[in-house]
Amino acid sequence: MASRRRMLLKVIILGDSGVGKTSLMNQYVNKKFSNQYKATIGADFLTKEVQFEDRLFTLQIWDTAGQERFQSLGVAFYRGADCCVLVYDVNVMKSFENLNHWREEFLIQASPSDPENFPFVVLGNKVDIDGGNSRVVSEKKAKAWCASKGNIPYFETSAKEGFNVEAAFQCIAKNALKNEPEEEIYLPDTIDVAGGQQQRSSGCEC
Amino acid sequence: MMTGVAEDEEKWLAAGIAGLQQNAFYMHRAMDSNNLRDALKYSAQMLSELRTSKLSPHKYYELYMRAFDELRKLEIFFKEEARRGCSIVDLYELVQHAGNILPRLYLLCTVGSVYIKSKEAPAKDILKDLVEMCRGIQHPLRGLFLRSYLSQVSRDKLPDIGSEYEGDADTIMDAMEFVLQNFTEMNKLWVRMQHQGPAREKEKREKERSELRDLVGKNLHVLSQIEGVDLELYKETVLPRVLEQVVNCKDDIAQYYLMDCIIQVFPDEYHLQTLEILLGVFPQLQPSVDIKTVLSQLMERLSNYAAISAEALPEFLQVEAFSKLNNAIGKVIEAQADMPVFGAVTLYSSLLKFSLHVHPDRLDYADQVLGSCVKQLSGRGKIEDSKATKQIVALLSAPIEKYNNVVTALKLSNYPRVMEYLDNETNKVMATVVIQSVMKNNTHITTVDKVEALFELIKGLIKDLERTAYDELDEDDFKEEQNSVARLIQMLHNDDPEEMFKIICTVRKHILTGGPKRLPFTVPPLVFSSLKLVRQLQGQEENPFGDEAATTPKKIFQLLNQIIEALSNVPAPDLALRLYLQCAEAANDCELEPVAYEFFTQAYILYEEEISDSKAQITAIHLIIGTLQRMHVFGVENRDTLTHKTTGYSAKLLKKPDQCKAVYACSHLFWVDDQDNMKDGERALLCLKRALRIANAAQQMSNVTRGSAGSVTLFVEILNKYLYFFEKGNPQITVAAIQSLIELITTEMQSDTTTPDSTADAFFASTLRYIQFQKQKGGAVGEKYGPIKV
Repeated sequence: MASRRRMLLKVIILGDSGVGKTSLMNQYVNKKFSNQYKATIGADFLTKEVQFEDRLFTLQIWDTAGQERFQSLGVAFYRGADCCVLVYDVNVMKSFENLNHWREEFLIQASPSDPENFPFVVLGNKVDIDGGNSRVVSEKKAKAWCASKGNIPYFETSAKEGFNVEAAFQCIAKNALKNEPEEEIYLPDTIDVAGGQQQRSSGCEC
Repeated sequence: MMTGVAEDEEKWLAAGIAGLQQNAFYMHRAMDSNNLRDALKYSAQMLSELRTSKLSPHKYYELYMRAFDELRKLEIFFKEEARRGCSIVDLYELVQHAGNILPRLYLLCTVGSVYIKSKEAPAKDILKDLVEMCRGIQHPLRGLFLRSYLSQVSRDKLPDIGSEYEGDADTIMDAMEFVLQNFTEMNKLWVRMQHQGPAREKEKREKERSELRDLVGKNLHVLSQIEGVDLELYKETVLPRVLEQVVNCKDDIAQYYLMDCIIQVFPDEYHLQTLEILLGVFPQLQPSVDIKTVLSQLMERLSNYAAISAEALPEFLQVEAFSKLNNAIGKVIEAQADMPVFGAVTLYSSLLKFSLHVHPDRLDYADQVLGSCVKQLSGRGKIEDSKATKQIVALLSAPIEKYNNVVTALKLSNYPRVMEYLDNETNKVMATVVIQSVMKNNTHITTVDKVEALFELIKGLIKDLERTAYDELDEDDFKEEQNSVARLIQMLHNDDPEEMFKIICTVRKHILTGGPKRLPFTVPPLVFSSLKLVRQLQGQEENPFGDEAATTPKKIFQLLNQIIEALSNVPAPDLALRLYLQCAEAANDCELEPVAYEFFTQAYILYEEEISDSKAQITAIHLIIGTLQRMHVFGVENRDTLTHKTTGYSAKLLKKPDQCKAVYACSHLFWVDDQDNMKDGERALLCLKRALRIANAAQQMSNVTRGSAGSVTLFVEILNKYLYFFEKGNPQITVAAIQSLIELITTEMQSDTTTPDSTADAFFASTLRYIQFQKQKGGAVGEKYGPIKV
């Protein structure tokens, strides 16, 4: 039973609006990129099979809305995440400064059992823009922040050019796998000898 | 009551989760032992928990997510079953035996996903079947979540172009049709919620609907991500279909949200190329829809697009984006008769920003926007609504910020007309923004027309607007404002004297309307600005071409006289006196004796009639002496009159020591070192002698009234004057006179009645040291000082 659970790795991508969360996912899963900005509404995922140590895993990658107004149902989907990817745009200082907010928000909402050691990965995206001339967050600064938060792995990526995307997700998958499953051990209160259960009736028949 | 509801809800959720977990447990066990029948049975029971009606959308979502996670495991199990030889078609049939429809449909969607993946049947057929089947759930909350489940599991299995599930020629239409149908059904469910349940729960219902909105909007996101939906397809099919649903649902919450979604999820290029279609919808929306926010967001998006991608600009022109937006705004305002003024102004403010970004060279567009805004505002009087005011400030600030140059804003004829509608306070704030921009950017305002336009903009600071309540004015704020106006006046400049003179006349015209409180701030900078022009013309041949209209110093001085005269009503005699003296000095440098004399006369009149405070008199008299001393333009007669008056004033000061100081200062009026025709040693000496007498009298008076003679400082000061003239070669100043003065001071200092004064002692000692020093210098100076014994 545990094996079935372990075949699925759940990854959540968080970050400010417009940093390229959807693009990173599309680049990784579909090898496609579009320059057009399209806002994401709510949350949904794409899956990708990954081979790791001779085993096949399904990576369930959740893309989320960066704009708060498109997250009306809340973040119940954080539950059971194995890794959280924090993305910022190296050309926008604010998006880097907000990483802290996203990280804390995730820890509060997902409340993993061991928040200290919960795997995060940080991606500094859009390093291709203007040949790097317009970047405002240096690699050193980003790495320092990652180090201060318990040595979070850091990657500089370009979803547009596919630069480092594969490597980043390899690392994401590896870290997700390391995360101890938080499977709630469920034991039924009564052993149902009849092997069946009373239907709870509730209202209409739908 | 409310906490009761929340607590109950927690309990319902906990019960739901418990039920779900228990069935999931048995489901896992069944899957582990490859027991398909039991796995289906328990999964159906597990999914029955989603049939609850007791949870709010947020809580339901929590329960749904747990079921969702379990269904992923079931999906893997189905795949394994298929690999083991179980026919998926059979599986698809089998799950339909579940007793309740909701679990049945969840299971069907789950198997459907595996079915599509197996490619045993075309994706489009399975999807079509599923989306039709989901009609079975008409309960809004449950239906929305079920359909969002369908949307989620089918997300990567759409027969999109380039997808592995791509079908025949119409494949993309199938993919699109599926999403559009799901979207339409979901929107219907969502809108229907509004009309279910008692009216008193409207608020609660709207809150729930608001929580659920992203489930509906998600479909638009999916549409935008479909590779095959290109501009053509978007324009011809997707957008019209979505808009049709938006308009026809006649629900304001849905309309507002979905328009926002459309604008955000589809790319800028698409919006630009479908502007007409999109904008055409706005007037058809319900009157209660907050169109201004949506439309503003659209304009903001397009502005940003233009700002970051210059290559898109021709496209903006080609589709005439500006005029389309302008028209649309007009129509929306017309259609929404109840729109508050704030709404209209917000729209125009966004349009102006759009126009400034996209068409920075088209000032006429900007002016047109302002004009439309004026049309909306007219007949409404001053705007009282603070939100509207804020928007107008944003509207008016935009061109200034964009061009960093007020001159550009001055070309906008409708600009001041919009300002008319601001309340007085805000009008001033705006005027200050204008002035600050001039200062910050060092903007040169060089013509009369521009000055006129500028003063029109800042008139809130220049004069009292109607209905100004004086007692509300903060003194410090007022000073700050007027100081900024003063700085502005200094910035108005043209090198051409004719134009500059006109500028000065224009400024004068405006500031004279300012009233007594403002004139003391505004007159001085104008006077100095005029004097600068005088200095520029100074030395030029007076009226070289005999052109009567030409600007001459004389003409400027005439004007200056009038400008300063305005201060008499304030009144501000001290200030006016200083300004007259400044003018006199300038007239002196221009060799205009009568003009200089006139200015002195004005200054003297003020001194005699207006300045009565002793301290002010002392300051004034020293200013007069200082200025008069530098005058060289006067003939003997005029000069005599003026110096005579001055010495007269000096001797009439109230306190003896002040008299003494003023009188010895007058000595300089008779002996000017660098003017050979002004070396009347005798009269200079007379002044000093008179000063000595006054100093003596002061000593005696002090003796009588206080019992002590006071300080010898005055004598030491006079001694220094003696030494000055002695050194300058005034023959009337003799060694004997100096000698006796030194002795006098020495005696006085030793007298019992003299008040000890260390400052005076030090002063005297250093004076003596100076004499000593000069003696030792040798040469002509040393020789001169030689006979003086110290």
